[in-house]
Amino acid sequence: MKRLSENSRLINQENLKENKLDTGFSIIHVSKLVKKYRKTEKAAVDNISFDVYAGELFAFLGPNGAGKTTTISILTTTLAKSSGKVIIAGNDLDSQAKEIRQDIGIIFQNPSLDLNLTAEENIRLHVSLYGIYAYKPLYRLMPKEYKDQIIGLADFLGIREDLFKPLKTFSGGMRRKLEIIRSLMHKPKILFLDEPTQGLDAVSRKSLWDYLRRVGREQETTIFLTTHYIEEAEYADRVCIINHGKIVFLGTPSEMKNRLIDKYLVLDAENRSALGSELEPFQPEAKGDGKIKVHFKQQTPQQILCRIRTPLTFMEVHTPTLEEAYVDLVEEKDEKKVLA
Amino acid sequence: MKSFQREVNAVTVIAAREVVRFFRDWRESLVFSFLFPVLFLGVLGGNIAQNLTGSLSYNYLQFALLGMIANTLAMTTMMSVASLVEDRQNDFTQEFFVAPISRYSIITGKIIGGSITSGLQLFAFVIVAIAMKISLTPLAILCIILLAPVICLSGGALGVLITSVFSSTPKAADQGVILVAFSQMFLSGAIIPINNSSGVLGILARIMPMTYLVDLLRGLVYQGTPFYSKIVLYNPLIHLAAVTAFSVAFFVVGTFLFVRGERNR
Repeated sequence: MKRLSENSRLINQENLKENKLDTGFSIIHVSKLVKKYRKTEKAAVDNISFDVYAGELFAFLGPNGAGKTTTISILTTTLAKSSGKVIIAGNDLDSQAKEIRQDIGIIFQNPSLDLNLTAEENIRLHVSLYGIYAYKPLYRLMPKEYKDQIIGLADFLGIREDLFKPLKTFSGGMRRKLEIIRSLMHKPKILFLDEPTQGLDAVSRKSLWDYLRRVGREQETTIFLTTHYIEEAEYADRVCIINHGKIVFLGTPSEMKNRLIDKYLVLDAENRSALGSELEPFQPEAKGDGKIKVHFKQQTPQQILCRIRTPLTFMEVHTPTLEEAYVDLVEEKDEKKVLA
Repeated sequence: MKSFQREVNAVTVIAAREVVRFFRDWRESLVFSFLFPVLFLGVLGGNIAQNLTGSLSYNYLQFALLGMIANTLAMTTMMSVASLVEDRQNDFTQEFFVAPISRYSIITGKIIGGSITSGLQLFAFVIVAIAMKISLTPLAILCIILLAPVICLSGGALGVLITSVFSSTPKAADQGVILVAFSQMFLSGAIIPINNSSGVLGILARIMPMTYLVDLLRGLVYQGTPFYSKIVLYNPLIHLAAVTAFSVAFFVVGTFLFVRGERNR
């Protein structure tokens, strides 16, 4: 655990300072951001800094109460920060909030739809608020481009037939899809998604991700995502983990898996001492059940296995999942907190 | 779309939303629109007229009708603005607050939408008044129609201020509106004449925004009649100045406080 902690610390420092994509420019720049809610002692967001690069899919992860929604609320201009600097698409949050709002689309954690209106009326309201189309009291009076756009998106997400039905009749999944259509109507440069797949079944989640990836690719939209589903972070170009208001990791999903979690082989043989001798260069560890554990980082399991002549009776390759890496990071931070 | 055009578009769509929502539940809206004048004008006004107004030299029901119209138009618009808190409860205000529009446009749209829906209330009052054979000349009806937007906008501005103060829950906002609306109804001369009010009640009557709205409406309707000096407190120009001043102040301060309350949690 000590070794892992040390690795994490070094990687975090390195990533927080240097991590960036080679190709993109910073479309979201956050520097020393702090948010302390009224009547609370602890900061919900505690001096965090990071950049999001144009066109990337940036996953912002963390347990409940870590500061994800607070951060996304500040970046989307709906919550005032306590201190720090935020630049979005070249606009300063302090003085150009309106310009920022023009460039972003948002899918909130809790659906922000008017249940008294139909699905189409909700979208018409949205495009009128954003000044994309002049408001008309009836759908049939709206321009052809609007109709084509809305029908195209509704077709893709499979809710075309329900477009003119009251939202009260929509399931949670359908409402989410409607929010997605709405958020993309004004072709935002950055799309903020606050736990967008919450409440969706597996099929809907997959179709949403297919669509988001397509949007990201075709429209070069930067996607800033918060999620509880760790497997969704696999889709991300980079992952940022926040816990107790502080960033504990920033890097690619593979970096997260490769550099923070132990990868090891568990081996056994009838002649354990011979096997142990052969594995000596790899600093083997004896497990409680007598089996031999060999960590690998630079080597592949095959490179280790090539050195072995002793007949094996057991072999297991342990490679970390993203979820393990995430849990490790969050728990490590919690342990430090308890010790402190 | 240019910036100004976008703001106008936003105001239009927010106002239209209020109207669509109001008429989507048109049965309830219609019933309550007529129930209110029947209760206040027919029951309350009728009882006062029959039992307490023997010494009055003018028609009490006509006097009360004008007061109740002003009060109801303002209150209905206030209620509509207070629904911002309900929108927030339902997470809908997020949609407004992330849109690239001025916060004043959001509030203005709410006020205009509320003003339009309160038109049904005005219509119901006029129908009930005709049914009760309360004298309303075409000129009086014209004055009411012309002043209705001013009354609604002022009521809406007051609604913004109340909403910014009582914004914790929809219930708190509704109670705040009802508290203020009823205080105004009883103190502003909407139902009970205040020409002879003195002391604390006299001071309260004169600091109530509704006093100026009600008196402005009566000032126009009773202009040139023998009852003008017995009913109207001040010159309509004084009223207009007072109404403009408090409406602008309430609108600006209320919007500022509401938006600050939303962002500075």
